[in-house]
Amino acid sequence: MNLLEVKDLGVQFDTLDGTVNAVNGISFNLKAGETLGIVGESGSGKSQTVFALMGLIARNGTTTGSIKYNGKEILNLPEKQLNKIRAEQISMIFQDPMTSLNPYTRVSDQLTEVLIHHKGLSKKQALIESVQMLDAVKIPQAKSRIHLYPHEFSGGMRQRVMIAMALLCKPQLLIADEPTTALDVTVQAQIMKLLSELQQELGTAIILITHDLGVIAGSCEEMLVMYGGRVMEYGNIKQVFSQPAHPYTKGLLHAIPRIDHQGDQLTTIPGSPPNMLRLPEGCPFEPRCGVALDTCKNVIPTLQEFTDNRYRACHSALEL
Amino acid sequence: MLNFILRRLAIAIPTILVIILFSFLLMHSAPGGPFTAERKLPPEVLANVEKKYGLDKPLYQQIGVYVKNVVTDFDFGPSFKYKNLTVNEIIASGFPVTLVYGMWSFLFATIIGVSLGVIAALKHNTWLDYLATSTAIIGSVLPNFVMAPLLVLLFTVYLNWLPGGGWEGGQWQFIIMPVIALATSYLASIARITRSSMLEVLNSNFIRTARSKGLPTHYIILHHALKPAMLPVLTSLGLSFVGMVTGSVIIDQYFSTGGIGQHFVNAALNRDYSVIMGVTILVGTLTIVFNLLVEILYAWIDPRIRY
Repeated sequence: MNLLEVKDLGVQFDTLDGTVNAVNGISFNLKAGETLGIVGESGSGKSQTVFALMGLIARNGTTTGSIKYNGKEILNLPEKQLNKIRAEQISMIFQDPMTSLNPYTRVSDQLTEVLIHHKGLSKKQALIESVQMLDAVKIPQAKSRIHLYPHEFSGGMRQRVMIAMALLCKPQLLIADEPTTALDVTVQAQIMKLLSELQQELGTAIILITHDLGVIAGSCEEMLVMYGGRVMEYGNIKQVFSQPAHPYTKGLLHAIPRIDHQGDQLTTIPGSPPNMLRLPEGCPFEPRCGVALDTCKNVIPTLQEFTDNRYRACHSALEL
Repeated sequence: MLNFILRRLAIAIPTILVIILFSFLLMHSAPGGPFTAERKLPPEVLANVEKKYGLDKPLYQQIGVYVKNVVTDFDFGPSFKYKNLTVNEIIASGFPVTLVYGMWSFLFATIIGVSLGVIAALKHNTWLDYLATSTAIIGSVLPNFVMAPLLVLLFTVYLNWLPGGGWEGGQWQFIIMPVIALATSYLASIARITRSSMLEVLNSNFIRTARSKGLPTHYIILHHALKPAMLPVLTSLGLSFVGMVTGSVIIDQYFSTGGIGQHFVNAALNRDYSVIMGVTILVGTLTIVFNLLVEILYAWIDPRIRY
């Protein structure tokens, strides 16, 4: 059985300028212990998709569709029931470890409160387990440093604290929303290595959101490419990388700078991302697509399985 | 920290001297004097009186004598207007009164203001928010010279619950209306600041993290949001406190409370030089002390602030 089944998920925001359709009918499945990578540029709806999973959509947002966790519907659950799932079953690491930890509270309190609330531990016992968790994410001298404030840690160390915090209750699903974006490259590699080690140890499934294809390539089994709040392509990561089936995926892979690249201009996808207030009537990628057909302008392509477990949403002829 | 406090207190001394100098010069450059009256005094009498109060000396000597008396004897001089009363006596009789109704006003304005602001922020864009926000707006546009008569009209004239004025050693019936009249506008501004800063904190990333940890909402508000949301409020609380414990001429006149607030305006109108100086130094010193206190509280709330 799938750990997570997302079906036709939509997220809309009411703004003064009109309705923003941030996510438009996303579907995917995740098995226990697996890693799914979600890629897409800024504003493609990646973060809102996982915020919907955690019930963290902003107040002016509404969600539609269905999210089943272990077969149970969790979309739009009341806050009280969500709080039973958060941290215990599904937990999350955020993009910016500088602002995602509370700067006014000691790290010890931010860690122990999770255990005290969810497992009913005493303060003392919670502190012991929190120190063990900081040891597990390889923070040196965890026993004394747990009593420091977040600003007394470096960026990489703060992200380790975030990871430790997310794993305290050994959740079955960990959502990592651009966990390495705010960190420098060497620290990025350490954090990704740590995440995959912990995953093997705990058997946690991971949804990894990033716009860095390099990060995805090294750590995921499945990959979901998003654009304009829709899934463009979805499938096994090795196959997607070796034989991309969607023009947008192809464009993204071409845009990765290569060391043997000749000339001074980097390859880009021409044009800019769509205005989410006024999405095109047809395929959101049509204005930037090199192989667009007439139908692409007014008919939204549906996500279809074209070979075993590989999906794409495109009208153009399949070229692998 | 101790170092910082001592340094700040050391800076306070020249600051107060500058306050003295400026008020002295401003006061003397204003037309008229303490003994200017509609019926002119004969020149000989005037000269005599001025000599008695030392007003015949050049200004720099007057300042020198004044500062010396204040520093060595804590003597702020005799009042120019009230015979037989010294400034020390005037402050000693009025300040305890304003201190009492000022402190109650401060507590009232802070507790109600912060609660209103927090509720408005939590129930953002619901009727509760609109109710709290409009209460705050009405409070801030109702000056105390309108509030005071309205309160008297309601509680004294119509309902006959509270006495319309007096102090009687500070019994509670006499405190209620001065407190409400004085606190309303402060309450309103505290509520507005609390609401906007709470809204900002609630939208911050670390609150989202706290929510993702499955913590109950009331716990998140109390343990994660309240402290940072109080920082901007604290700044205004320091000055509001000084404003309230030094009272208001309107409250003192309207409710005949006999506090020190009345002297701010009356002393200036009377050109009662020594009383003007006395109350100015009082407010200046309180402001310096409470700003320092606010800065110390800042460091206590925000671990990133270290002096």
